[in-house]
Parts: sequence; structure tokens; C-alpha cells
Amino acid sequence: MEKEKIKITNKLGLHARAAAKLSHLANNFNSNIFLIFNGDKVNAKSLLGILTLAASVGNDITIEAEGDDESKAVSEIKGLFERKFDEES
Amino acid sequence: MIRSKKGVEISSLLNVPDISIKKTFNEKWLNKKITHPDTQKPGLALAGYMEFVNRGSLQIFGKTETGYLNSLKPAECKKSLDGFISLKPPAVIIAEEQKLKPAIIEILNINRISVLVSDLKSSLLISRTSSFLFKHFSKKVRINGVLMDIMGQGILIRGESGIGKSETAMELIKKGHQLISDDLIEFYLDSNDEPVGKYIDSIKKWIEVRGLGIINIVDMFGFGAMLEEKKLDLVIDMESWDPKKKYDRLGEESLYFPILGKDIPMFKLPVSVGRNLSTLIEITVKYFISRKSGSESFLEHLNREKR
Repeated sequence: MEKEKIKITNKLGLHARAAAKLSHLANNFNSNIFLIFNGDKVNAKSLLGILTLAASVGNDITIEAEGDDESKAVSEIKGLFERKFDEES
Repeated sequence: MIRSKKGVEISSLLNVPDISIKKTFNEKWLNKKITHPDTQKPGLALAGYMEFVNRGSLQIFGKTETGYLNSLKPAECKKSLDGFISLKPPAVIIAEEQKLKPAIIEILNINRISVLVSDLKSSLLISRTSSFLFKHFSKKVRINGVLMDIMGQGILIRGESGIGKSETAMELIKKGHQLISDDLIEFYLDSNDEPVGKYIDSIKKWIEVRGLGIINIVDMFGFGAMLEEKKLDLVIDMESWDPKKKYDRLGEESLYFPILGKDIPMFKLPVSVGRNLSTLIEITVKYFISRKSGSESFLEHLNREKR
């Protein structure tokens, strides 16, 4: 199992469009991927699930993946957060 | 049950139509918090026997308590209340719109205890306040899946992402069954100690359909398509069909899904493209109901024939 904590840096946080990008990316992997925030654990492949977290800028969020491509999944998702969901230039 | 520091503000009881609060006294103290899930009738505590009274519990005065307090002389009444007040009850609810002497309400006011008056009988009041408080205090867990009411049973449909849960849910709604939540459900233990699933406010009535985005169930199917919460009876776990795997052919296996320390019966359904999932789920539920009500299984039938 791979686990990594990251900080949300994009201004709008995990809003609908960012969540859509994130769940789209997560669906490319075979692993089970979860996001953990504030004691809630949701499936990263579920768009509505991600939205219930209501995580905003400055919050720490944990990515957890388990499966044959877990490390690749965590590093690519981490990359998406670091690129601020490609929405701020 | 664990006591929580967070607690429920007393004023939130006013918003619960079920509890039917008609009047309030000492409103200044309505912002205090109830910190214990049990509701109590003080009974003998008013006569001086204080054991077993919970701190932080909502106290209910029925006919016995109001009658007893009203019958006492002022000095005795003060003494009786002093003991009760030392337990720091957050609030008192009076059942059946009984009247307390104004002097008694004033003593409670000095001690920062609000008084709420309901027109319900004590027994009903206790059961309804308990169910409201348990919802708040119970341990909660969020689970991915679809929760539906199918033929009166609370059915949790689980399965990997993309296996077709949401589409199946919509087919089932079209067949007249009701949806509690698609995607993510919050479960808590109710006052009967049974797991109940509830939608999460921020995503209620929304369902994701790949290719369409997120659509509003109420707009599509009307208010009758949704329920607020439902007790969980059965879990149906859908998994993609694996030709190498051995599936239960005789219905011998008993599987259980653990949730909040309870075991809920579960069926695993292998799923492949082209299987009519909504019908399969309806049949599973019918089978579950028939087994629950005692009809015999195929193996039991064979055993009986042999004898």
C-alpha cells in the first residue's frame, strides 16, 4: 500500500472541475485509490465522493492506493495536485 | 456508547417536528449542549436517590415528576430540586403539556436549565428524542455504494468503480424502487442498534452518469424516487465475472458484510456485460425475503425428498 500526504495549493481547492480531473485520472489505474481528509475516506474514482470532502486550499489530504500500480497512481495524482490541476498558469 | 464533548445544542430539538415542542421557558439557556445520548426520566432522583442518573442527559418530566414537584411545599421542593440540579442536567422536557409551578421554573432558570414543553406522552417523547440523539451521537462510517429501498428492504449495492452501479440504480428507480444515495452513504447505529444509511447533504439527489455528468434524480424521477434514510438489511456485492473463479452454484454460502460492529447478510453477484442487473437485483431481494420468512432452499428441499 502506498500512502502520501500532500497540500492543496490551487486557489479553488477540490472544486467540481478539479475533482472531475482527479477522478478521471484515478480511473486509469487498476489500484483501489482513496483520499483521506478530516477523518473521511472516499474513493478517488468517485466524483461525488471527492466533492463531499469539500477540501480547500491549504488543507492537507492523504492519497492512499493499493494494487499492482499503486506507486504510479500515487505519484501521478500527486503530480496533478502539484500542477494545480492545470488550471492556474 | 461513547460520550462526546461536542454534544447537541438544545435549541436543535425545536427544529424536530416529531418531538413537538409547544412552549419554552428559560430560553437564555437553549444554547447549552446535551452530551449524553440517553434520555432519562429522573423519577426517584427527585426524591433523593441520585445513583444511575447520567450527567449530560436530557431529562424528561412526565406526570409523575411534575405532579410530585407541584405537590411539595416550597422548602421541600427546593431541597428536592437541589439534588437534581447538582447533576447539571442540560435541559428538562415536560411531557403532555403538564404545568410546573412558576417558582420551580424560576429555580431551574437560576441554575441555567431551560424547560421545553411538548404535547407528547413521556414514552413517545423518550423514544423520539432518543432516536434523534442517537443519530447524532452514534459512531458513523461512510461507505461507497448505492443504497436503495427495494420492496421495503434496505439494500446496499457495492462493486468496483465503473461496474455499472449508478446505471443499475436508475433502472431500479424506473421500476419504482427508491434511492437513498448513490456513491457515498453515511451509516450510523440507530436507537435499536441497527445500522441505518443516510444520504450526505452536499450530494443528496445527485447521481453521476458517465457521459452525461451529474444529474438531479428529483428532476428526472420526482420526489417519490428518494428516501432520506433506510435501515440496512442486505448487501449485494457485484464483481466482474472471472471465468477462473468458482461461484456458489447451490446457494450454500453465507456471507456477511461487517459494518459498525454488526454483520449484515451479503450476496456476491458475478457481473458481466449483457446481464440484466436490475432484474437480477430484484430477484436477489425477493429470494432474500423468502429465505427470511422461512421458505426452504433447494438443498433443504433435496434433503426432505430423501427422507
